[in-house]
Amino acid sequence: MSEKIVISPTSRQEGHAELVMEVDDEGIVTKGRYFSITPVRGLEKIVTGKAPETAPVITQRICGVCPIPHTLASVEAMDDSLDIEIPKAAKQLRELVLAAHHINSHAIHQFLIAQDVVPADLMVTAINSVSEIRKNVQYVVDMVGGEGIHPSEVRIGGMAKNISEIARKRLYARLKALQPKLDAHVDLIVGLVADKGFPEGLGVHNQKPLATDVLYGDRTKFELDRFTEILPESWYDDPEIAKRACSTIPLYDGRSVEVGPRARMEVFQGFKDKGVVAQHVARALEMKTALSKAIDILAELDTSAPVMADYDIRGTNKLGVGAIEGPRGMDIHMAQVKDGKTQFYSCLVPTTWNIPTMGPATEGFHHEFGPHVIRAYDPCLSCATHLIVVDDEDRSIIKNEMVRI
Amino acid sequence: MVLGTYKQIVHARSTDKQIQKISQDGGIATGLLCFALDEKIIDGAVVAGPSDEMWKPEPTVALSSDEILAAAGTKYTLSPNLWMVKEAVRQNGLEKAGIVTIPCQTMGLRKMQSYPIGVRFVADKIALDIGIFCTENFPFESLKTFITAKAGVNFDLVEKMDIGKGKFWVHTADDVISFPIKETHGYEQNGCKVCLDLVSELSDISTGSIGAPDNWSSVLTRTEPGETIFSQAVDAGLIETKPMDEGKFGLEMLTKLAKSKKEKAMKEIDQRKELGLPVPYKASSEKEDPLANV
Repeated sequence: MSEKIVISPTSRQEGHAELVMEVDDEGIVTKGRYFSITPVRGLEKIVTGKAPETAPVITQRICGVCPIPHTLASVEAMDDSLDIEIPKAAKQLRELVLAAHHINSHAIHQFLIAQDVVPADLMVTAINSVSEIRKNVQYVVDMVGGEGIHPSEVRIGGMAKNISEIARKRLYARLKALQPKLDAHVDLIVGLVADKGFPEGLGVHNQKPLATDVLYGDRTKFELDRFTEILPESWYDDPEIAKRACSTIPLYDGRSVEVGPRARMEVFQGFKDKGVVAQHVARALEMKTALSKAIDILAELDTSAPVMADYDIRGTNKLGVGAIEGPRGMDIHMAQVKDGKTQFYSCLVPTTWNIPTMGPATEGFHHEFGPHVIRAYDPCLSCATHLIVVDDEDRSIIKNEMVRI
Repeated sequence: MVLGTYKQIVHARSTDKQIQKISQDGGIATGLLCFALDEKIIDGAVVAGPSDEMWKPEPTVALSSDEILAAAGTKYTLSPNLWMVKEAVRQNGLEKAGIVTIPCQTMGLRKMQSYPIGVRFVADKIALDIGIFCTENFPFESLKTFITAKAGVNFDLVEKMDIGKGKFWVHTADDVISFPIKETHGYEQNGCKVCLDLVSELSDISTGSIGAPDNWSSVLTRTEPGETIFSQAVDAGLIETKPMDEGKFGLEMLTKLAKSKKEKAMKEIDQRKELGLPVPYKASSEKEDPLANV
């Protein structure tokens, strides 16, 4: 006899989603389905028909958790569409701001899972450690990006301004001082996750990882013709769920994939482990990668170099692709510019890739572990949502005749 | 109290010959900022620096004494210095910034610090605010127009401008021309008509030529940090002081002008309020002291 366990909305994540698990007599999950129920905002439609500069400003507001990757993906897509080669210093500043954001975002996630893995007597230590790290890396985002949340200095063609020599030295000193603290923090988190004693194999699945770069993102590694996007109703075998799921299902080579820190580590650093524990460990280790990269950039950044390229805003209708490795995975923005206006815009965001992967990852274990599996992927749903609810009564989205947003 | 709260009021001037030569009056703003920078009390300052166009200032982040010296001297037109505060703190990485402001900007700065909406972790990095006396300010085109028309001088030939003794003075290489300050009325920006503050009442230190002998400035120290920096600069011998002249051309004149600016503005505020126009001040009937800057 099978029973259905529904968690709605799933908690300690960004946005609203539902986890529906079919369980057997022992409570073991036999079928897991995870889907977004966050209403659509249609940001891609908002930027269409407007000047290209509008896109980064609007799309960074997709989500307050990772505005930096969205801004970067958007300007990279525009850069590609307008055939802009940005100056070296601008590239370094972009990489720097993203590296700092990676650390900040991972630290936030560790705060969210603190209740799951941190014992009461260590809670204060863990939270203080998270706050200390965030304070320092957000300082970098503030200075380089111009604003801590919606970076104003990241522009099409490069960056609005270079930082001053004082700022560079200050940031370098500050991040150097952060290094031992971050090392201790990573040890703490990795140790706590190990001590929690999650069952072996929890959250393991067979999907392939997809990543374009160790940390920043590389549009040449993302092959558009291997990508397809299908509607939820042809993915979820439960018609009730298919009707209500708010995100499309992106496939790479026709299969769902995993993106995120573990996927990046598997593709580029030979990281072999899988599952919930591996997710947490990979995320923690990636903070070290990001910090050492940020320090390297600050060591060699030329603060007097130009950071803005000359370009023609009119565009040639080339399909530009911006691929950025966000904290939760690969974030792709696509844009076409012609006659000085955005003709087409589309975002393929990290959690969209993970949604079809997360549900099946809960299978084979007791349903009580379901939320742990979901949280290990750090889903962030507001950007993933792409379909519109047409019937408020039964929350159904429009079906076959759906307008793609 | 029409001069706001202050700890001490004196005449002062910079002892540095170079500063004396290029500054407007006593060179207090320039001298204090250079001193604070050298002593690492501040790590940079937002000042009205030179732009591509003669006499048109541009808010600039000065990180060295040279850059502060380049900004010395009064320009009688608008320089939106507060606009540069964020850039000073963010891209330039200042943690203890100095700033020079005119009264309206001083008010804006204090508001930014009290309600840091959009400037979180920015406004609190201002360590020293030097307020400048200001009777009124002119948009750049206004200034250009009345100098060309009233003084009859090609704007590019002007070497110094000054207001004093009821007149607007224009210095060229071989001539000094003046015309009554009254003739500039109508050219000032609209906001000046409702401004209740002549002496930057909310700054750390305010300074200006009103009430001071030639080449000296009147200085009011208002806050603890302002007082400390000023007395350190005096002790270091960079600034010399003499007691304030209490007489007709000293404190009396400063008080009189501050009061008349307030009275004139209050009348205008009341009038605008009566017409239902938006004014960021209370009407005289709404406050205890009609001359208070609220």
